Amino acid sequence: MEVATPFLEVAEAIEQGGAEDLNVCYQCATCTGSCPWGFVEPLNVRRLIHLAQLGLEGYEGEDIWRCTTCNTCKIRCPRGVGIVDLIRSIRMMIGETGLIPQSLRAALGSTKSEGNPWSGERKLRNKWAADLGFTPFDKNEHEYLLFACCMPSYDSRSRKLVEAVAKVLSAAGIRAGVLGSEESCCGESIRKIGDEGLFGNLAEGNGKLFAEHGVERVLVISPHCYHTFKNEYPELGTSVQVTHMTELMASAIAAGKLDLKKPVDAAVTYHDPCYLGRHNEIYDAPREVLRSIPGVKFTEMIRNRDCSLCCGGGGGRMWMETKFGERFSDLRIPEALGVGADVLATACPYCINMFEDSRLNLNKEDEIRIKDVTELVAEALA
Amino acid sequence: MSFEPKIVGFLCNWCSYTGADLAGTSRMKYLPNVRVVRIMCSGRLDPTFVMKAFSQGADAVLVAGCHPGDCHYQNGNMKTLRRIPLLRRTLAQLGIEPERLRLEWVSASEGERYQSVVNEFVEQVRKLGPLNLELDPSVERAAG
Amino acid sequence: MPKKIGVYICHCGSNIAGTVDVEAVAEFAKGLGGVTLAKDYKFMCSDPGQDMLKEDIRSSGLDGVVIAACSPLMHELTFRKAALEAGLNPFLVQIANIREQCSWVTEDRALATQKAKALVAGAVARALSHEPLEMRRVEVQPSALIVGGGIAGIQAALDLADAGVQVYMVEREPTIGGHMAMFDKTFPTLDCSACILTPKMTAVGSHPNIQLMAYSEVEEVSGYIGNFRVKVRRKAAYVDHDKCTGCGLCMEKCPYKVDSEFDQGLSKRRAIYVPFPQAVPNKPVIDRDACAYFKKGKCRVCEKVCEPGAIDFEQQDSIEEIETGAIIVSTGFQAMDMTAMPQLGYGKHAEVYSALEFERLNNAAGPTLGKIVTKDGREPTSVAILHCTGSRDENYHRYCSRVCCMYALKYAHLIKEKIPEAAVYQFYIDMRCFGKGYEEFYQRLQEEGVRFIRGKAAQVWSGKEYRAIATDDTGLEVDDAQLVVQAEDTLLGKLVRVPVDMIVLTPAFEARDDAEQVGKAFLLNRGADGFFLEQHPKLAPVSTTNDGVFIAGGCQGPKDIPDTVAQGSAAASKALSLITRREIEIEANTAYIDEELCSGCKNCLDICPYNAIDFDDEKNRAVLNEALCKACGTCAATCPSGAIRARHFADDQIFAEIEGVMSI
Repeated sequence: MEVATPFLEVAEAIEQGGAEDLNVCYQCATCTGSCPWGFVEPLNVRRLIHLAQLGLEGYEGEDIWRCTTCNTCKIRCPRGVGIVDLIRSIRMMIGETGLIPQSLRAALGSTKSEGNPWSGERKLRNKWAADLGFTPFDKNEHEYLLFACCMPSYDSRSRKLVEAVAKVLSAAGIRAGVLGSEESCCGESIRKIGDEGLFGNLAEGNGKLFAEHGVERVLVISPHCYHTFKNEYPELGTSVQVTHMTELMASAIAAGKLDLKKPVDAAVTYHDPCYLGRHNEIYDAPREVLRSIPGVKFTEMIRNRDCSLCCGGGGGRMWMETKFGERFSDLRIPEALGVGADVLATACPYCINMFEDSRLNLNKEDEIRIKDVTELVAEALA
Repeated sequence: MSFEPKIVGFLCNWCSYTGADLAGTSRMKYLPNVRVVRIMCSGRLDPTFVMKAFSQGADAVLVAGCHPGDCHYQNGNMKTLRRIPLLRRTLAQLGIEPERLRLEWVSASEGERYQSVVNEFVEQVRKLGPLNLELDPSVERAAG
Repeated sequence: MPKKIGVYICHCGSNIAGTVDVEAVAEFAKGLGGVTLAKDYKFMCSDPGQDMLKEDIRSSGLDGVVIAACSPLMHELTFRKAALEAGLNPFLVQIANIREQCSWVTEDRALATQKAKALVAGAVARALSHEPLEMRRVEVQPSALIVGGGIAGIQAALDLADAGVQVYMVEREPTIGGHMAMFDKTFPTLDCSACILTPKMTAVGSHPNIQLMAYSEVEEVSGYIGNFRVKVRRKAAYVDHDKCTGCGLCMEKCPYKVDSEFDQGLSKRRAIYVPFPQAVPNKPVIDRDACAYFKKGKCRVCEKVCEPGAIDFEQQDSIEEIETGAIIVSTGFQAMDMTAMPQLGYGKHAEVYSALEFERLNNAAGPTLGKIVTKDGREPTSVAILHCTGSRDENYHRYCSRVCCMYALKYAHLIKEKIPEAAVYQFYIDMRCFGKGYEEFYQRLQEEGVRFIRGKAAQVWSGKEYRAIATDDTGLEVDDAQLVVQAEDTLLGKLVRVPVDMIVLTPAFEARDDAEQVGKAFLLNRGADGFFLEQHPKLAPVSTTNDGVFIAGGCQGPKDIPDTVAQGSAAASKALSLITRREIEIEANTAYIDEELCSGCKNCLDICPYNAIDFDDEKNRAVLNEALCKACGTCAATCPSGAIRARHFADDQIFAEIEGVMSI
């Protein structure tokens, strides 16, 4: 057996990095037992917490980078420990020593130089917008600023999602403008990777841009943008009203502003994205939208709402390689098929990409389609 | 030296005074600027008490009673709740910032809440600065 | 003649003197107007301290005393009594609270001393304006009302009744017995719950000094210590209990069945029913919501078969008024609804049971006659008991429910006793076996082969669900009807999955949904946890801030049977010591209306919460009924002519205190 001696300076540094409630953990292990890694390669969250309490080493390995920040442990924790913040704080400390995994370094580098983690050129950001008829944001003309995540600018699958957004907004008569290439990544995942400095720069830059253009209401398609604008930007001085596309559609449908006539004949199940569901408790809006689409037969998967299984793409995992056999998204496809679904709907560009990958890898292209809720609404518009 | 405001606190016997005692029994530390005058019910708070406190040099007045619905005397606290806005308006007319009068609900089990109410209020009054009340004869009169 | 005030600064050991410069405060007090002498002393509440006070009152002719010490809620009565013994009117004593609200909450010695001086100055100024008041003496009604007929109330009722006190017991259900009546065995001695409870229930039912009002609820409480007036709603049973012989034929013949509350929905009862065979009173009631006659206008089978003609569909609720000297609130607790934790599968999987359901399942008089079987009749080969479900949990209840560890062990024992080959798992965080014989019971269960897994159960799936979501290589064989529990065994540092046939949850004890309403009716404070608050957590555990009202049992917080019974007896003894005094003194600080000053505006009439102010039309003046006044002082604050004086909290007295506290 190894001999260990507590190193409280390290414990204090972790506490100060955002894990103030670290010491109230009473080691019940609800976190380990709730963690989605349990389905593939269990991650001992409890042990990570106890190591942090005593400031002990133990972060050399991969474990600390495996967390997808899905928040299941956090909402279940009987002592209310901010476990996601704790993971972030530990990563921050490791980041200061430069021991960040290679793949994440690339994402951080690209974000630093180009304002997005996808190694895409800044000048290409939001280029799609003009093609889809969006005009630059003008506070006198537009109700919302559409902040559409980095992905549609650099990823062809996500591009389809904004096409659907354009169609739905125009059908509902909602005016939204966009910012150009000056806009940067929201920084949500960057912060979870532990680069607090870069996150601060991104938030400050976007915040300044919002202020210059008089932005008060922001419409987002990614729950990650939603989360950081709503819960993290205010601390840094930027307060805007944030609406997720599913919320907007739910209220537009309730107000009779969206005429869904064309049946979408499909057995649809819904995957709750972690950052929409567990992080922000939006469970009903997407379901209300799906239920109001004619022709949709809606079924729930076994793991739904706050028990939803993470897609595996949060917390920086989007840019990390996950071994075959350990991918959460690969578990989700059979689960959806198992409840008879032929469409797996969700409301997050990250989830969509993860599931599209799994669909291909598992050779299920013919059995199931991956759709954003917005895309299904667009299909139902006459 | 920083400005140490003097605040008079009117606390109801059953909830707030007991809650303040609980903060003490639990050894919670808070700023020592509030001098407490115990009344049986916050409903006992005669507006002239507040005027009197200001005329005697108080920089602020804290009134604390049971939470709505929990009044030991059924609804005395609701009467105070109605009196406070009127009182604030009167204060404003006399040139006293209405924020110098604060009403809070603190139950017998909320020692922690009493602690944070006092600390917050003291800091708030510190920012407002000392009350420079040119002893207006009308205040004296109102104070009876 | 100028008043002579004596000031005493208590050190309270180092509790005050450690932070406040008590000598400086005493010195400061000497310089205050009206102060004849000022002293500091180690413990003012000690006998020598009180003797010194009495001696000074006599020898120096003090006509006012200020004690700067702990909170007046702590020792005001002590010093008032001492003053009285020395011939000084007790209302000439004023307390300055320099402990709870000064020395204990400030670390800065200079600031603490400054604050103590201000509080003393306020108290001295106030004492100078005090006037002697006479305590009111009132008779105490020689009776007690007990609200709630669980084991706490039963114990209290019998203790009081045996002492010759007239007891009224109000119980909302058709029978007394409470939760304890549902249990099979009791830990750690494993004596049968019914065997020890039912004799006490019967004793309540037949005691000449107890009037049992089952199927009744308290509607309104008025009055004050020694003289409460309580309105009780006697719910219509639609059965004349004087005529009913309790033969039970009506229940046999009633064609309508609903879930039995007593059996936690595991069995059915009729629309006309007694909750269980040993019920007290053992007379049926008709459940309006289940009865076909009340719902559809026809049936009346019970009426036809009842030979004594006791069925009375025309019966109405009635209101009964009780006068009582003391009240004991023993309204109990409720178990948390486990559907709040969807990850544990309660309400979704048939074989996930709440603790009370398992009590009934295991009870010899329960739905399975005590056989532990699954809903489809199989004997479980493995059972998991999950601890702390909803307790010690910020998301639900922060507190420990105190009994779950022990009954979880009891369940393990009962399962092992009935199905020796069954595997029983305890998923626990910490075993809390603190009572007499409890740790020994824990060891006994370890010897009986129960498996302890140190880790909170995080997720439960049905076998079917598990196979649908698990990856193929887990190697866990589980059939559809089984359940899988997942937790980390923290002692191994491994994730464990255990397939079982049955799961028992340990729902948190919580304050009843109507605790707020009950609290308001009896003027009880509630803690942050929702339970009723005792006057002092250590030294007045069954008293409340409402004099004459006591609390006992689960309504005060989670507790086991021994503690509940102890509180029932404690509350009875407090009530008894009140009742046997026959006469008590109550606060003299009621309001007073000066007829000369009253302008007849009637503002005070509506403002008084106790209707203690009447209006004399002839004189055109408000008139106070002192017996009803509870001294809140709200009328005094409202009176525009200054005609109402709140005795002991009068305007001039409060003004003096304000001047005092602001003087430094």
